[in-house]
Amino acid sequence: MKNKLSINELCYSTLSSDKPNSFDTYVSQGGYETWKKIIKEMPDRKEIINAVIESGLRGRGGAGFSTGRKWSFINQDSDAIKYLVCNADESEPGTCKDRDILRYNPHALLEGMLIASYAIGAETAYCYLRGEFIDDVYKSVKDALKDAYENKLIGKNILKTNVSIDIHDLIGAGAYIVGEETAMLESIEGKKGFPRYKPPFPAVKGLFGSPTIINNVETLASIPKIISKGPGWFSSFGTKDSAGFKCFSVSGHVNNPGNFEIPLGTPFKTLLELAGGVKDGKKLKAVIPGGSSVPVVPGDIMLNTDMDYESIVNAGSLLGSGAVIIMDEDTNMVEVIHRIARFYYSESCGQCTPCREGTGWMFKVIDKILKGNGTLDDLKTLESIPSMISGSTICALGDAAAMPVESFIKHYRSEFLQYIKNQKVDPIDTNNFAKISDKEFVLNRK
Amino acid sequence: MQENIKYNISSENSSKINQWLSKFPDDQKKPAIIYALHLIQKENKYIKSEHVDAVANFLGLKKIDVYEVASFYSMFETEHVGKHTISVCTNVSCMLNGSDEILQYIENKLKIKVGESSEKYFLKDERECLAACCGAPMMQVDHKYYENLTKEKIDLILEGLENEK
Repeated sequence: MKNKLSINELCYSTLSSDKPNSFDTYVSQGGYETWKKIIKEMPDRKEIINAVIESGLRGRGGAGFSTGRKWSFINQDSDAIKYLVCNADESEPGTCKDRDILRYNPHALLEGMLIASYAIGAETAYCYLRGEFIDDVYKSVKDALKDAYENKLIGKNILKTNVSIDIHDLIGAGAYIVGEETAMLESIEGKKGFPRYKPPFPAVKGLFGSPTIINNVETLASIPKIISKGPGWFSSFGTKDSAGFKCFSVSGHVNNPGNFEIPLGTPFKTLLELAGGVKDGKKLKAVIPGGSSVPVVPGDIMLNTDMDYESIVNAGSLLGSGAVIIMDEDTNMVEVIHRIARFYYSESCGQCTPCREGTGWMFKVIDKILKGNGTLDDLKTLESIPSMISGSTICALGDAAAMPVESFIKHYRSEFLQYIKNQKVDPIDTNNFAKISDKEFVLNRK
Repeated sequence: MQENIKYNISSENSSKINQWLSKFPDDQKKPAIIYALHLIQKENKYIKSEHVDAVANFLGLKKIDVYEVASFYSMFETEHVGKHTISVCTNVSCMLNGSDEILQYIENKLKIKVGESSEKYFLKDERECLAACCGAPMMQVDHKYYENLTKEKIDLILEGLENEK
């Protein structure tokens, strides 16, 4: 059973239907049965939390923390109002998996939110969508909510019981940082998206000062089937520490870009084949395996790596959000990191000095190098910046900006050096100068 | 700044904002700022100081509370922009699929540079990834998604906008 290649069985299960996002389609697949059963039987909350812990589900937004354990941080004995927040602020570059859940299977998300709310004792849940979805998937979510309310699956006294849970749709207004969970809470409260100091963690003091759990769209949409089919079913897929399925957005230089939901631990090679292989039969040069915040990995390493949390760490990177960006042999790596650095420079919220200044420094130095004005000292300056940002900021945006820069220089230093020599990179020949050291480089220059 | 020009939030928008407030605890008014600014921007294309003042007044908040939201979030425009907003994604996945040429093609066609406006178009300097990476290169026109762009496709989209009433 391990690693059997099952595609789109969980969050994308409605894709095979003509009307994937309709209430009827979801119900015809057994949708909302889990929720109705919970309402009828009213199991102890701990039972549900334990099942989610046992399933091995890890947060699909990027951090990969145990979902069930996160839920268990809520103090069940406290009478305080509790909130659930669904993070639908999908904006990690390369990631477009949640948008497909929101537009093709919104009811799985809503059922997951209901079960999660029940498990943590929340009577109010918010689904926060990124602002740019305002005339796109926002409508699909609103329609789904309307259907679920009309069928009395959400709201006051659900199915005539004393369980009441409201789910509200919310919309942002453009800010990558709001994907950080405490920045999202600030944004919901109607403020700038500035991440908060932790502790206190949101499970203790979150939205409006109340205990709050924030989960990603894919995480929540995975819940209904984990409960109905059992944690053992979920953990029978994937690997020991990376259980179940994961949605991967494969983009960049591939013939058939798309979202593929496959068991964790599937070989990268298989995923690349699903995406039709490298575009135009070219060779694979490099892969960013988890969104632009994670280190880049050379293609030959990726071709021998499996798509699970531990294997990607062993390959020198992180699984992150599951955004797999493919780069072919002709890719100019200095241009790519220039674009990535520009993004973090634009999106740093400005609250912490190391990130606010550091992202700008990194972008400016890379820009100078790309324009052919860079010196060896600039490259050394660039190399020194990431360690001054990492670990010195309130949230992980600083680390997210630093890791790619470090990894691009580590693996593709020769391309930076070529720019410094004021020559355009000929990627075909990169192997010939891949081993040039700084010392040799200086000698060559003379 | 012309302090004496007062903007009145329409009764339709007033009731929408009040409805939005019902999603939150009774004492919470700030959570409606983003939504109110979206509504006003939709009607007025960009947020002027009188709009900010009106939202603050309506929600019983300090002006600064609304100003800082209007200036923080990238979707809010605080200067005059053209009628249609075009955002070409140029983040990594789109860049690898030729978004820079797409952007340049649109710049040439509309005779404006990225970040600029004409009467009819605003070519937004979009730095964020717009979460449609598997349809790269892509753009949004007034927040509608257009994916797998080619020059021909762009010609058709712009023609459609030109021919609208």
